[in-house]
Parts: sequence; structure tokens; C-alpha cells
Amino acid sequence: MSSHYEAPIRKPLVLGDKSYADISNDIARPVETPPDRDWWIAFSISMIIFLWGLGCIAYTIGTGIGTWGLNKTVGWAWDITNFVWWVGIGHAGTLISAVLLLFRQKWRMGINRSAEAMTIFSVIQAGLFPVIHMGRPWLIYWFFPIPNQFGSLWVNFNSPLLWDVFAISTYLTVSLVFWWTGLLPDFAMIRDRAVKPFRKKIYSLLSFGWSGRAKDWQRFEEVSLVLAGLATPLVLSVHTIVSFDFATSVIPGWHTTIFPPYFVAGAIFSGFAMVQTLLIIMRKVSRLESYITLQHIEMMNIVIMITGSIVGCAYITELFIAWYSGVEYEQYAFLNRATGPYWWAYFLMMSCNVVSPQVMWIKKIRTNIIWSFIISIVVNIGMWFERFVIIVTSLHRDYLPSSWTMFSPTFVDIGIFLGTIGFFFVLFLLYARSFPVVAQAEIKTILKSSGEIYKKNRDK
Amino acid sequence: MGKKNIYWKGFEELNKNSEIVEKLEQNEFVEKIPVGEGDKDNNPNRRDFLKYAGFSTAAAAIVGCEGPVIKSVPYVVQPDRIIPGIANYYATTIADGFDFSSILVKTREGRPIFIKGNKDANSMNCTNARINASVLSMYDIYRLQGPKVEGQNISWNDFNLSVISELERLSSQNKKVVLLTQSFASPTTEKIISEFIQKYPNVQHVIYDSISNSSALDAFENSYGQRALADYDFSLSNTIISIDADFMSDWQGGNYSSGWSKNRVPNKENEYSMSYHLQFESNMTLTGANADNRVMANPSELRYVLQSIYLNLTNQKYSGPALGPYLDRYVKLAVESIKKSGKKAVVISGLDDVDSQEIVLMINEFINSDAFDISSPRLIYQGSDSELLNTISELKSGNISGIITAGVNPGYTLPNAEEFLNLVNKLEFSLCFSMKEDETANSCKYVAATPHYLESWGDYEFKTGHYYLSQPTIKPLFDTNQFQDVILTLSGSNNNFYDEIKNNWRSNILKGKTWGKSLQDGFYYSYENNIPRRIKTSANLVNLPIQNTDELDLILYTKVGLGDGQQSSNPWLQEFPDPITRVTWDNYLTVSYKDAERLGLKNYNVSNGALNGSYVNVSNEKNSIKVPVIIQPGQTPGTVGLALGYGKTQAMSEHMNIGVNAYKFYNDFKKTQKVNISKIKGDHEFACIQLHNTMMGRDEIIKETTLEEFIEKDKSIWNPTVMVSKNHIETKVTSKEVDIWREFDRSTGHHFNLSIDLNKCNGCGACVIACHAENNVPVVGKEEVRKSRDMHWIRIDRYYSSQDTIQGDVEAKDSTKGFSEYKSTSSNLEKASANPQVVFQPVSCMHCNHAPCETVCPVAATSHGRQGQNQMAYNRCVGTRYCANNCPYKVRRFNWFQYSQNDEFDYNMNNDLGRMVINPDVNVRSRGVMEKCSLCIQMTQKTILDAKKEGRRVKDGEFKTACSESCDDNAMVFGDINDKESEILKVKDGDRTYRVLESIGTKPNVIYQVKIRNTKKI
Repeated sequence: MSSHYEAPIRKPLVLGDKSYADISNDIARPVETPPDRDWWIAFSISMIIFLWGLGCIAYTIGTGIGTWGLNKTVGWAWDITNFVWWVGIGHAGTLISAVLLLFRQKWRMGINRSAEAMTIFSVIQAGLFPVIHMGRPWLIYWFFPIPNQFGSLWVNFNSPLLWDVFAISTYLTVSLVFWWTGLLPDFAMIRDRAVKPFRKKIYSLLSFGWSGRAKDWQRFEEVSLVLAGLATPLVLSVHTIVSFDFATSVIPGWHTTIFPPYFVAGAIFSGFAMVQTLLIIMRKVSRLESYITLQHIEMMNIVIMITGSIVGCAYITELFIAWYSGVEYEQYAFLNRATGPYWWAYFLMMSCNVVSPQVMWIKKIRTNIIWSFIISIVVNIGMWFERFVIIVTSLHRDYLPSSWTMFSPTFVDIGIFLGTIGFFFVLFLLYARSFPVVAQAEIKTILKSSGEIYKKNRDK
Repeated sequence: MGKKNIYWKGFEELNKNSEIVEKLEQNEFVEKIPVGEGDKDNNPNRRDFLKYAGFSTAAAAIVGCEGPVIKSVPYVVQPDRIIPGIANYYATTIADGFDFSSILVKTREGRPIFIKGNKDANSMNCTNARINASVLSMYDIYRLQGPKVEGQNISWNDFNLSVISELERLSSQNKKVVLLTQSFASPTTEKIISEFIQKYPNVQHVIYDSISNSSALDAFENSYGQRALADYDFSLSNTIISIDADFMSDWQGGNYSSGWSKNRVPNKENEYSMSYHLQFESNMTLTGANADNRVMANPSELRYVLQSIYLNLTNQKYSGPALGPYLDRYVKLAVESIKKSGKKAVVISGLDDVDSQEIVLMINEFINSDAFDISSPRLIYQGSDSELLNTISELKSGNISGIITAGVNPGYTLPNAEEFLNLVNKLEFSLCFSMKEDETANSCKYVAATPHYLESWGDYEFKTGHYYLSQPTIKPLFDTNQFQDVILTLSGSNNNFYDEIKNNWRSNILKGKTWGKSLQDGFYYSYENNIPRRIKTSANLVNLPIQNTDELDLILYTKVGLGDGQQSSNPWLQEFPDPITRVTWDNYLTVSYKDAERLGLKNYNVSNGALNGSYVNVSNEKNSIKVPVIIQPGQTPGTVGLALGYGKTQAMSEHMNIGVNAYKFYNDFKKTQKVNISKIKGDHEFACIQLHNTMMGRDEIIKETTLEEFIEKDKSIWNPTVMVSKNHIETKVTSKEVDIWREFDRSTGHHFNLSIDLNKCNGCGACVIACHAENNVPVVGKEEVRKSRDMHWIRIDRYYSSQDTIQGDVEAKDSTKGFSEYKSTSSNLEKASANPQVVFQPVSCMHCNHAPCETVCPVAATSHGRQGQNQMAYNRCVGTRYCANNCPYKVRRFNWFQYSQNDEFDYNMNNDLGRMVINPDVNVRSRGVMEKCSLCIQMTQKTILDAKKEGRRVKDGEFKTACSESCDDNAMVFGDINDKESEILKVKDGDRTYRVLESIGTKPNVIYQVKIRNTKKI
């Protein structure tokens, strides 16, 4: 399927005068050269933040959840906000690699590897929060339906939190397997190029003995397809189930049937924004402009714009339904979101998520790297606030006004959140220096159809 | 082989004649066992207690299987009458000079752990928050552990000898000694004191009530020749006109709310009638909050209101200053209501001038009020302001050489306490009977450690002919001796107080009832109907100008929580939210909206919701104090309120040392004082547990109706069944069609319901403390409460109306149309009115049959019991807090930290003594665990097991919870709805029953009764 004819109207996906060898060299370069000073600076900063976050986690576990800003009315705030935010970010990877694979979108090949890496790293961050937000985290194994000697104690299959456990762990497993499958030929490439025995040993272990035979390739293609088929429903299921944490409850502002599609759209939205943020930096730093092209950025901007609009639609639908329902608690919950003490969070959410992506209608902006970068950051801020708005503003004023209160984070709340960002970047920076960050094997399959030089030659 | 091995225990055994070996052979234990009457050790009595009462304090801290293992020692010889696991109850009496009540004390393994009212007593049998909490005051580590002379520990023998020699010296020199005591209301104590004075004629007995009732006492004495207080039975009145009498809390000794509540529920039996209660007052009091109409007036106006009511009633012309149309209307209403009710009316007043109090007596006599009881008046307060002022001036002039104080702490409660302490310091002889090394004790040479009332004997005559006994419920924890015993010793008597009481009762009081039976009952009642003759026939009319100055009226009051302040080191009471402001851990100046605006005072919420308030300087010519401000809806403009009982500094831990001492303003023992107020810089951090004061017109929370509507209209008008829409068809929320759940069969076994009658509940909060005691609810401290992390399992929500009435709020909300109007209405509804209607609603776990919390717990730690309870398995809880988030009633409480045995939370659960109050039937929860009301499952389960053992059915009325048991007003009815004869079933099937937030479909097992207001519209 590699060298079929591609219409000249399609823009090339690999820029520059690239040969197969050039691709190998370009992708292997970050792995084979020692990191520069900038990398070390970035890594050190991330590490310090990560360690600070670890300290905050240790303090929480040692002293109690009381070190956070939570109270009797607001039982979840930054913890679950961060959880949903990270899970949401983790959505883009699978969407790009699985859904776009099924839809034969070749442009995914430049970005899918990093998007999936981002997915796995952010799901790891997300997975931290359900553990540390527990009052007694050392009992985490009680979440799993394992045979036990406590008598007939079993988990509660009615609880959305339990569904989360299954949803997230399935997602992490499938994503990891899918990612690793794609990595095998690329690891093998690095292995084959490696000179030092230690490096060779490591990469041959990582590549699971990939030999490059035709049978390998055939199986590779088949497994990719099967996994893509498995992963596609997960794209929808994970955030649907995360949204059930709220949708199945009785709290006005949470109890909403629109949540599953709304959360999935929001997740793709924030995931793409995060991919955008990371890749704009990476293409520059790792000199991958030929593979992660402006066209990729534009494509992702379009996805961001569309999902942003879907999310905006959902926000407005929520408001409409609150009014249309005639339920006073629901009405007040949404009035309070927009005009209550947390109006600023709602305003940030609306302007970051609904208004800012709309500038992408302008081609100049969506093909401008600086703008794309800024908006990708803005969108992620907005999406964090979306979750904060849903969780905190719904809880802080629910049914009985006597229990209404407010939430304010402590340094521990903030420290843990920053810590996960630090952890995420630690992982990502390590990844950028040890993994093939672009699926070079796949890129090579489209070089002759979508490579700039080949297209030009053909046109001549 | 075959030879028996000898094991040597030491070299000493080689010496055949060793004394040690011999001793070891004879004695099982090498060291003397710390048992028997104490000797010179610091706390032999405490050890002694442990022997007799069982070495079982540790058992109290039994926690789950993962908790720390605490070794408890079983009885070697089981004491008589104590069976481990079985509670004993003793009838006794509290009379601490402020609270007076006949009570039952629950003891477990010899430890008193819970107090409830002695319902068999004829009168004075109510418990309030302070009485319920007083059991914890016994286990206070700041208590005095033995007598002291000049700060040095001493034995009682030496103590008594040196006091006797001092007294004899003073007596021989004829130097005056003042015996300053609380009102004991105790016949035998009076006898002992008079014998003491016979022995030492230089002693003068002066009675001092820290909160003065002198004007009412003087008025009664002037009118009837006896120093007493008229008693009232509000259950006999249809019209209650109260002028500044906060009779639901502490007015004239309290115990009044149960009578009031009896006549508040219209039903078939009473021909659908309820009393009408009109309150004129300046501060927003608990009583005013419960009144049908509440009228704001400043103190000088109040006097004229009373006078005007009196004159109008007796057809005389009122010639005082004009009251204005607002007050005139209500005076007219009051007079009309009194005339209409005739004998069934009653007028009371808390005004502290003798003239007004005399007028009150005359009005009640004039209308021949049924509620008005002067044949058996209250004797609980005896103090006289003038006598006390004389004593103080004599102290100043040096006429007095010695002082003995008992049951009072003038070093804290006198307005000029510092001056007083300086004078006491200079005296030749000073002796203080005290439980604590308080302000007064620190200035006295001799400090006699007294026991807590639960460790003491006593007899009382609270009302003429109403006698009460108190008995120790535990052996004294420390080396203490009660005042009466010491006085007996000082008088040279060989009797102890117990003998004296017994002899006195047998020879003078008991007629036909045995001593043993009286002691078991805790009371004795001998009624003689002798109505005192009036000796003064005319009243003086007040003739003061209505205030017209810049000065504000400061009205000093006592809070339901701390009262006069003698229990201010009690953490339960400090954390008790004030029923009106719902502020804990503080006193503050209550200021009206108008004055706050004028002075630029603010209350605002910081980012975590916590309440802050401006500071003001409250000053008169003598004092100036920095006080934080709470802007109080219902506070009369021109007046400010400040609670007494705070700002104590001695003999308590530092974090209890909060608030300001308002006694400094208690000049001449008048509760109304003129002060100046000016704003000063800075903001105070409050720990308020309710940050939003209105109900936002949500009529699903509290349902109200008027008496007319209740009588005339159908239930469907004032308590309609809640409808929800199913497929666009309005369907009853109770119908099966809208139910998505499979119903369990609940027709067998017990099914518990708790009904709360909003017409009877006055929000006093006794249940909050009872729950604290029964369920080992932790105290978390001011900082944590400020973070909205209070742990109370039951709370009493207080809502103000935003319009004139609560109904008005609902109407305002319902009539709103359009978005902009909705927005403005909503923000208007957030603000309480300047004179709002108030409503109280106790909220505990609702024990929903369809509980939102149960479905969301991932580990099934909270699940439904067969008896209807929503149960919480602490051991299983992992602390996700999802249940708390999903609770529409927000009743779940999370252990954010380890609250017991943690130095960060240095309250009673952090010391061995304080932990003695822990109920061994209930877990102490560890950190990271959710907790909440269990419907006192330990109590219901015991009832079931007892009945099972006796082979019978459980009788109706046997099932109780701590809250329902503590409710003197009978607002809470608890029982089994599967018992067809039960009261709860009747209540549940009544027309007034509704459930909070019924439309969500949670089907709670806690039900409420619609509040009916008898508000008169003018």
C-alpha cells in the first residue's frame, strides 16, 4: 500500500529531499547523540518539580487528606480535576493512532508515536490521583475484585469509581501494547545501527527480536489493525466512564446525560492541544520539521477547532437544558457557575475552550506556529478549568444552602499538580532521547507517494 | 537424672536466713500493689479509682482490627453491680450556680459517659447542651488534683488544721470574713453554713450569682416577701408575650422550652390550636427566633412596651413617651391577644430593673395567668446585687480581713475583677474552693480542690417543695473534698456531708418516702399549696427618657454553648455552634445591618469560604475591648449584643483561651450598658459552620404553612405530594412508576424512622452535644472548623428569611420570570432580611432507603441495613469521599486527620483522662475514614438484644437515639414503623409528614413535620 499514486493536489507529508537513509538518520539522531545543554536544563527543572510533587504526596499520605483544601461539602477538587484532565489529555494518542489508522489518514504517521507516548505518560499521571486522593491509600488493593480472606468482601460493581479502575487499566494496557507494537521495527532500526554492545543489547531487548522478515511485517500490519479495532471503542469508552463518575450522581451540575459525548469531545480537544504543544517544541528541538510539518499542525488545529466547537455546543446545551428542565437546583447550579463566586473559572473555561479555538477559522492563524502554540496552551488551561468548574462549582453549592461553602487549594494541592506535570515531562524528555519519536518505518512507507521530492519528480 | 532441678532466682537464696527470700515466698508480688486508701503519693485516689472501677479505660479506645493494639486488664475481683458491657444509670442533680436540673447519668465500667434528663422528676428535668457536656468537664486535665497552700501541695489534714487555726485567730480578733458562694439552693448546705457561722460568728455569707437575677428576685421579694423567682408553665398558655425574656435558653434558670413546645402542635386532641408567641427584644435570641412574631425594640423602648401593655390591659392611660406606630401596633396586638386568651395568657420579661419585673408580676396576677406559679417559686438564684456591691466596697475600705469563695470565680466574672483580685491578694486570709486553679484560686492563699458534681453529694430545693438529691457516680478522680465536707470539718463536726443530708432529709424533709427510694429517684416532691400574699400593691412606672444619644446599647447575654463560662475549657461546648449565628469557638459583637453600614463594618467570606469580620473597639468610661463583629439579621438598630462567658484565661489550654471577656462591661450587674463603638483595623477569622444564611426559597427543604391554612385547607395545599415528570406526565414521587429501583421487602423485622417536628424544635442544640457524647464525635478545633471541616453528626441548620417571611422567599422565587429577573432574585434571596423569620432544622444522616451514597462506594463500605439504616463500615472505608459528594444532604463527615491521640488536636481525645468519656460501644474512627450518624445502632441493637434475652417483643418507646433522648421538647420521635402500635407510625402517617428533597427520590427514613406558624399579620 506504500507506493500508490497520490493526487498532486495533496500536500506532501514528508518535506525536503529525504531518502530512506535520511529518515533513519533523522529519527535516530536524538537517540544516538548525547543530549545538549537545553535538554539537561529542561530535564533538571522537570525533575525538581517532580520531586517537589513527590514530597507533597508523601506529606499527604503521612499526615492526611486534610493537608489539601477540601472540606465537608467539597470532597473532591484539584485531585479529581487533575485526574480527569490527565485522562482527557491521554485521549489524543489512541485517537490519532487507532481511529486515524482505520480511516487511513496517513498524516497521522508523523505524530502518532509521540501522541501515544503522551497518552501513556498522561494516563500514568491520571492514575496517580485516584490512589493518592484516598483517605487510606495503602488499601488501594481493595479496589480490585481479588479473592480475599476478609470474608465475602467484594467490590461494589455499582460504583462508577470501580468502572474507572477497569476503564483506565484497560486503556493503559491496550495503549501500551499498541504503542510498543508500532515501536518494534523502529527499535530494531536503532538496534541495527547501534555500535556499542550495551546499546545494542538494550535495543534488541526492546525490539523483541524483530527481524524484518516479510512475515514480521505481515503480522505487524495485522496486529496493528486488530489493536486499532480494539482501541477505537476505548477512545469513546474511557472518557464516557470517567464522565459517569459525575453523570450517575445526584448532584445538580453533575447529573447530566450529555456528559459522555461532551467529555469525549473535550478529551480529544485537550489531547490534541497537548500533542500540539509538545510537537511544536519537539519538531524544533529534534529537527523534525520535515516529518511534523505545518500541514500536521494545521490538521491538528482543525481538529481542535471542531472539538472545541462541540464542547462549546455542549456548554450551551447544558445551560439550555438547565432552563428547560425547570428543576430549580439545576437552574441555580448553572446560574451559580456563570455568575456565582467562581464566575472567573467559568469565564476562563468559556473563553479558552469556546472562543479561542474559533480563531482557527482563519487560515493565517491556524498555519502560524506561534499562534498554534499559544492556543494549544490556552486550550489546556481552559480544559483544566472546565473540570474544575464541573467538580467544584457543582459541589460547593448543591441542595441545602446550609452546607454551601467554598474551596481554596493549599500548597500541597498545587504542589501535587505541578509534580505530575514535572513527572510527565521527565518521562517525555527521557522518551525523546531514547525512543524513536517518529514512526520511521511507517513514514518510509509513504515516502514515495507523499514525499515532497518524489511528488515533484513525478510532476515533472 | 530424676533429681529435681532447682532454679536459682538470685544470690540471695544462698543465704538461708535472708529476709528477702522469706518475703518473696510470702508475697506474690515484690512491690506493694498500688491499692488501698491513698498515702502520700501524688494521685493515690486516681489509682484507687482504677482498681474499683476496672482497669478498663483502655477498652474505650477499641478500634478496628488494624488499629493499634491496646492491652486492657480484666477485673481480678469483679466489683459489685458492675458488669462489663452493661451500663448503670444513676439519678443525680446538677446545680452549678447556672444550670439546675435533675439528671440521669449513664456509667460504663464505673465511668460516667452520658447525661440525660431525669424524666421521672416533676420539674426541672431538662438537659441543655451545657448539662449534656458537663460529663466531659469532669475529665479535664486542668482540674486541681489536691489542696494547695500558696501554690504548694499539701495534705488535707494539714490544710484543714492551718485553715482552722487561721479562722480561729480571725474569729478571736473579731475580724470579718466573707463567705462568697454561688446559690446552692440546698437545704442541708444552708444548715451547714449556718452552723459554720455559729462557730465563727465573724463570717458573713454572701451569695453571688455570676449572671445576676437580682431585679427579678427583688421584685418578687418586694411583692410577696420571699426571695424567689416566679415559675411558669408555658404549656398552659395560649398567648405568650415575652419582653426580652430568652426563656428557651437560660432565662431565670431555663427548663422552660419543654412547656412551650407542648402547646405548639395543633392536632385533633387540642382542637387544632396552638399557642401564640410574641417576642419583643433587642438581640436576636433563640426565643425570638422561635416566636410567631418578633418585634425589634431597644432596651428603653422595651420598658415602655411593657408599661404600655400593663396600662392598656388595666384600662389606664399610657402617658410615657410615644413608641411610634410600629411598636404601638404590636402593643395593641399584645393587649388584644392577652384579653382574648384571659387566664391562658402569660407575660414574662427579662428586663433587669425591679420596676419592670414588678409590673410583670402584676400583669400575670391581673390576668390570673394559669402558667404563672408563685405558690412553688424557683429558689435556684438567691444573689443580691446590692449585698455584693456592699461587700466589694467593704473589701475596698478594708473592713474585711478574709474571704472564702465557693462555686464562684469572681476573679473572672466581676466587672472589676483585677481590682478585686488585688484586694484579695492583700487579705490576711483567703480560701478558695475550686475545681480549677482559676483566676480567683490563683489569688488565694488556700485553694481547696473540690470534686466535680458527678463525684459529689448534694441536696437541693429548686422550687418550694421540689427536692432533689445528687450522689457521686464515680469515686473522686483526684484528692478532692467537697465544700460542705470541708466546712463541716472546719466547724468541728465529725459528720460528713452525706450523713448530714441523710439526717436532715429523714428528720425534716421526707414524709412517707424512704431515703433509699428518694436517692434512687433523685428527687422528692411534697406539695403544699400556699399562695403567698401580696405585700405591695402598686407598681412604679419607669420614667426614663427614650435614648437619644450616640451611644449604643450593649446587651450582654449568655450563649447556649458556654453560658456563664464556667465550662469554657470544655471542647465540646467550644465547638458547639451557636444556634443563631452558628459560629463556634468565639464570642463577638452582634451588630445590626444599619449600624454596620454606618460604621463601615463588614462580614465577608475568604477564598475557602471561611467567614471574616471587622474589629471594633467597644468602650465605656472604664474599659475598652477589641471585639470582632458579626452582622446579625434581627439585631435592633442602636443595640449591639455580646456574649458573656468567654475570654477566660486561667486553668485551660491555650487554644481554648479565646474570645473576649464581656464581664468587664457587666457594671452593676446590669445586662444593658451604654457603650461607644468605633471600627478598628484588621479582620477577625471566625469559625462559622454555616456560611449561607437563607434557604433561597427552596420549599423542598423546609415546608411551612400558617395556622389558618393548616386548619382550613386540605393537606394537598400546604403539604402536597411531590410530583415528578415521567414522560411529560406529572407522577407522584412515591409511585412505583418513577422508581427505578427494586424494592426490598421491609415488612418483617424492625424498620426505624426518626421524625423531627419543626414546630417543636427550637434549635437549642442539646442533641448535638448528646450525639457528641454518645458517638465519640471528635473535636477538631477552630482552624479546622473554619475550613468547613466540623465533624458533628447532627447539625441544626438555621435559615433566615430574605423577604419578611420564609413563605415570602418561596413566593418571590416562584414568581420570577426571565433570566435577568431570575439572576437578580437569586442574588436578593442570598441576603437575609433585617428582621427575618427564622427556622431551625436538625439534619443528620437521612438514612435514605435509596441512598445515593451507597451506590457510589467502590468498596461497598456503606450499605443498607435490614432495619433501614444506612450503615457505615469504618474498617472497610478507603476514603474516596465519593459518598459525601453524592449526598444531597451533605451529612457525611470525613476524618481529614487523625483526630484522637494526635498532639495536633490536643482536645479530650488526646489524653488518658479525657478519653475516659469515650463510649466503649462506639468506634473511635481513624484518619481517612468517612463517618456519619448511625441512628445510634448501638442503642437500638442493645434494646433488641435485651428484649430477646427476656423473650419478649420490643415495646414501643424503648427504641431511642441519643438525639431523640436528649430532646426535652419531644421534637424527635424515633421508633419502629413495622410496629403497628408505635407512635412513630402514627406520626409518619400524619398529614404533616414530609421528607427533605423528596423529588430526588432518596426516600429518607428521617422524616420531618411541616412547620406551622401562628404569625399574626398587621
